[in-house]
Amino acid sequence: MVERKVVIAAEVGLHARPAATFVQTAAQAPFEVTVSKGGQAPVNGKSILAILGMDARQDDSVVIRVEGDGPEAEELLNRLAEICETP
Amino acid sequence: MTTVLAPVEGAAVGLAAVPDPVFSAGMVGPGTAIDPLRGPGKAVAPIPGKIMKLHPHAYVIVGDDGKGVLVHLGIDTVQLKGEGFRLLAAEGDRVSAGQPVVAWDPAVIEAGGRSPVCPVVALDAAAESVTGVVQGDVHVGDALFRWD
Repeated sequence: MVERKVVIAAEVGLHARPAATFVQTAAQAPFEVTVSKGGQAPVNGKSILAILGMDARQDDSVVIRVEGDGPEAEELLNRLAEICETP
Repeated sequence: MTTVLAPVEGAAVGLAAVPDPVFSAGMVGPGTAIDPLRGPGKAVAPIPGKIMKLHPHAYVIVGDDGKGVLVHLGIDTVQLKGEGFRLLAAEGDRVSAGQPVVAWDPAVIEAGGRSPVCPVVALDAAAESVTGVVQGDVHVGDALFRWD
């Protein structure tokens, strides 16, 4: 398992384009992906409903967790982190 | 099977007509969009359920079966920070299909230089699970599409 804490940079938060891009990227991967905001229970990173429901706003920090190991899991984590950290 | 109702009155134009690639490419999910009648109106719940998320410019209703439908009132309307929208319900409320959720005026949105077109999207749905998508004029509460 690999995880990283990131700060949401987009003005719209993890909604609209960032949310859709995040979920699409996560859904293509062979690993479980979860996201948790501010110590709340983790939600399914492959579900647009769950991500919109989490309602992460700009400057919120979230923890992305990829249930896998190795370069592929690291690469996925990097891509998901980048989506969150792109203004 | 869920019947998703038109949340606003206008013309159902399909997601491809939405001037935002996130919606037009189906990235958020399958569904359609309504080019709303200009003038003051009330956007309603497209399905019965709980208001899981309520922003002035967008809301998600989740039915008892866990299916969530997103209604987005206009494009880039998050930038308005609630101006021009009035909430008629609260997050967490249980609503019946057709119950008013947000009062707004598409003409005002358009006058501000934004598209008032309203995507209505089945969240986490496979494209083929959405059928019977209506095209053309719809009234509030008319069947808009089926979600199996």
